[in-house]
Amino acid sequence: MSDELDSLDPYVQWIAGEARRSVAVDPAARRRLLDAVRSQPVPRRRGRVFAWLLEPRQLVLPPLAAAALAAGAVGIGILGGLAIHRDGRPSTAQPFSAGVAISQLPDSITPRAMKFVLIAPQAARVSLVGDFNGWNASATPMTAQGAGTWTVFVPLQPGMHTYSFVVDGSHFVADPAAPIAPDDGYGHRSSVVLVGGSSL
Amino acid sequence: MSDAADVQRVLSGDVDAFARLVDRYYERCARFAVRMLGNRDDAEDALQTTFLRAYRSLGKYQERDKFSAWLYRILVNQCRSIAARRNQRERVFVREEAVLLNAPDRRPNWSGEDEEFVQRVLAELDPLLREAFLLKYVEEMSYEEMSTLTGVGVSALKMRVKRACDRLRARWERIKDE
Repeated sequence: MSDELDSLDPYVQWIAGEARRSVAVDPAARRRLLDAVRSQPVPRRRGRVFAWLLEPRQLVLPPLAAAALAAGAVGIGILGGLAIHRDGRPSTAQPFSAGVAISQLPDSITPRAMKFVLIAPQAARVSLVGDFNGWNASATPMTAQGAGTWTVFVPLQPGMHTYSFVVDGSHFVADPAAPIAPDDGYGHRSSVVLVGGSSL
Repeated sequence: MSDAADVQRVLSGDVDAFARLVDRYYERCARFAVRMLGNRDDAEDALQTTFLRAYRSLGKYQERDKFSAWLYRILVNQCRSIAARRNQRERVFVREEAVLLNAPDRRPNWSGEDEEFVQRVLAELDPLLREAFLLKYVEEMSYEEMSTLTGVGVSALKMRVKRACDRLRARWERIKDE
């Protein structure tokens, strides 16, 4: 490396040398970072089987098989995540029973109770995080329904929401049955749900 | 304690082990982020997001990779994202640069200490050239390491570094002729 540096033009060498000087670091920024780290769930290494079960993957199918699978897509949706009708509307979407005041609101702003489902037989606990609860892993715990099925109902305003499941407090898992949201900048895959109002 | 041992301790629930990793790499990452992004606010954003992202993804880190290379890959991507997201502000910055360039130029001080001047000439480079130059001659990586980190082929990276050096040299010639 020093040979390569020596062969540089002296001016370029000077720029490189100056750029290698360390920069002043704000100690408060480092403290803020560590505070933010401590507020996160402790990361855990995924077991192989668990990782395989949860890892999103692409399947390449011959057209006939794809058509057959498409016909059964409703079942897969219910098994893997959010229950969705064939017309794309969530099967569990009903006006959220939050009293008369809400039921009198225009349909486009009436919250809807959405059921989220994840099959995770090896999980000890699962919670739902999303833009609707500030991505807070302790805000919306899911309930074990037996046979590894975890569910929760959440009232959501009509519109698009991004969400993810947090398994055992540390694994962020996208919904295998829902569209993937753009990268959140943290390397985690989230899912998208579109909650219909009258205008959606 | 090695990086791998600290990663293991974090995965066992010892958050303080992550503080040691932060201590080990924070300044080096800060230097790259500041040189790459040209200002400390953006650099702090990049560092914050990089280390948080690394922490949250630590379970996916494969021990066969060097932790520093894995961390740098996140940092480089984060710097790219921030630069792209703040394109509007960058354009304002470029306009300010144009004013500065019309002012009498400051000659480099060969005894060093002229950080502002270095930031300015680095900022004049195309971001991909700047990134390649910094990884090669500031972070002192091999082309193979750079290739793994950026996903760009070695020959393309060599070309970027050469073009960066040519532009810096041309910049110097311009100063000398003024």
